Amino acid sequence: MPQPKTRWDIFCTVVDNYGDIGVTWRLARQLVAEHALTVRLWVDDLRAFERLCPELDIHLDTQWQQGVEVRHWPAEWPETDAADVVIAAFACQLPTRYMDAMAERQQRPLWLNLDYLSAEDWVVGCHRLPSVKYKSVQRYFFFPGFQPDTGGLLRERNLIEQRQAFQRDRASQRQFLQGLGIAPASDALLISLFAYENPGLASWLDVLAADVSPTHLLVPEGRIVGDVARWLEVESLKAGDLQIRGALTVQVVPFIHQDQYDRLLWCCDFNAVRGEDSFVRAQWAGRPMLWHIYQQDEDIHMDKLDAFLALYTRALSPAAADATSGFWRAWCSGQPVGQHWLAVREHWSQLQSHAEAWSLEQALQADLATALVHFYRNWL
Amino acid sequence: MKTGKELKPGTVLRIDNDPWLVQKTEFTKSGRNSAIMKTKLKNLLTGYKTETVYFADDKLDDVILDRKEVTLSFISGDAYTFMDTTDYTMYELNAEDIEAVLPYIEEGMQDVCALTMYEEKVVSVELPTTISRQVVYTENAARGDTSGKVMKPAKLANGTEVQVADFIEIDEWIDIDTRDGSFKSRSKK
Repeated sequence: MPQPKTRWDIFCTVVDNYGDIGVTWRLARQLVAEHALTVRLWVDDLRAFERLCPELDIHLDTQWQQGVEVRHWPAEWPETDAADVVIAAFACQLPTRYMDAMAERQQRPLWLNLDYLSAEDWVVGCHRLPSVKYKSVQRYFFFPGFQPDTGGLLRERNLIEQRQAFQRDRASQRQFLQGLGIAPASDALLISLFAYENPGLASWLDVLAADVSPTHLLVPEGRIVGDVARWLEVESLKAGDLQIRGALTVQVVPFIHQDQYDRLLWCCDFNAVRGEDSFVRAQWAGRPMLWHIYQQDEDIHMDKLDAFLALYTRALSPAAADATSGFWRAWCSGQPVGQHWLAVREHWSQLQSHAEAWSLEQALQADLATALVHFYRNWL
Repeated sequence: MKTGKELKPGTVLRIDNDPWLVQKTEFTKSGRNSAIMKTKLKNLLTGYKTETVYFADDKLDDVILDRKEVTLSFISGDAYTFMDTTDYTMYELNAEDIEAVLPYIEEGMQDVCALTMYEEKVVSVELPTTISRQVVYTENAARGDTSGKVMKPAKLANGTEVQVADFIEIDEWIDIDTRDGSFKSRSKK
């Protein structure tokens, strides 16, 4: 008789932006597709989720999407059995009645807090540690990360091979871009820009516009579009709009689902990304990148940025490392970045090969979904 | 009840009905302004040690303990003897029991410490939040900085190294925050 599938519940509260739901949706899909698990994803804000999964019907409390049971997390919690593994993503607070259901199970569930991604050293020391108990159910902390002895990063099976094949196939790239209405000049540097608002943007666009070689800047709909519009001196921008200033072509692209966004990153020569999910995907793209880190009180985010830069740039020459760090730190501080961009361009070929090497190095670690499954098996 | 962020060395938590002494804490800001406290715990009944991590706002059941004011009397090898300032009772602790405060323990120190007892057994010693220590060695100020923002290493009498403002010189006394070991200012003494 076949063993019943292990049931996993993932809880996600959408605080702001799309990082929370982006990570949990990706994790849920991977657990189903690659580990044959039964997964329920509880989301409090289906409207935010709909941007990533347009097939979603926001009026349904229960529905199936790509093998995942998507459940609306209502204010009034319904009577529900607890799963074998319970993941509270990003410090979200589980409903008390659900926690009671966890405690009432004959076989205690594994309760995990899946925390934020950080390159800081303390992550290694806190990963997989026990925490409080609710009645007899123990909570554990699980940290994604870049170093051995962390939970690793979300990475689907064969992702790197798929990406490399796509990047070798010019025709597929052209076809994909055409599908989004993008037709860059053959000699244009293709850049994607997905970031938070940033007063430093204008200085970068000034330099790109004044460059002798062309740049095609793709701006997915999002928070930085307003800054782009201001620089272009247009009232507003919407998906499909295309503007040219000097050597710079600016094109707004629609908010696309995760698989399409991966391909967009794979097509680009340089990717500016933000938060957590797109930050990881840009690393898997194997292309030079810029990270707009989520801003925190007391500039804590700058410590986190520096911790990642220390890891990311350690294999670069000192000059290339300085150029990268200077660019990222200026961008995350909202400072002008035009001169930093020029410094980055001086080390372009080194940064290109480094981005690929970094991607392959990170891919040597177990991916986050697999690490979670292993942790559960060992815990049993 | 105590919250995760209120934990400090010397706190005793009740977990599964056992008393667990917090020996060491490490406060860290996680993502999106959430914070966590990593702790090193010792079971006071079995001696078993473990590490845990809590959210800053997790609520934890603490044990109210008997506390006494003591001063360091003498050090003999790994044994540290403290004396009750009221009744002169002597209490001997080993280095492991006072791991968290060990970097600031030195012969002749005058600090009045808080000694914590659980069922008549000494479980920890806490130093005042601010202590004064003499610098026995540090490099000369290189840039003549007086702002206190430029830091340099300095050695205390017991060999502990701390970061101090660049203007601090050998033999000067400094105030140290014992919660995180940070330099506060030049001592007024």
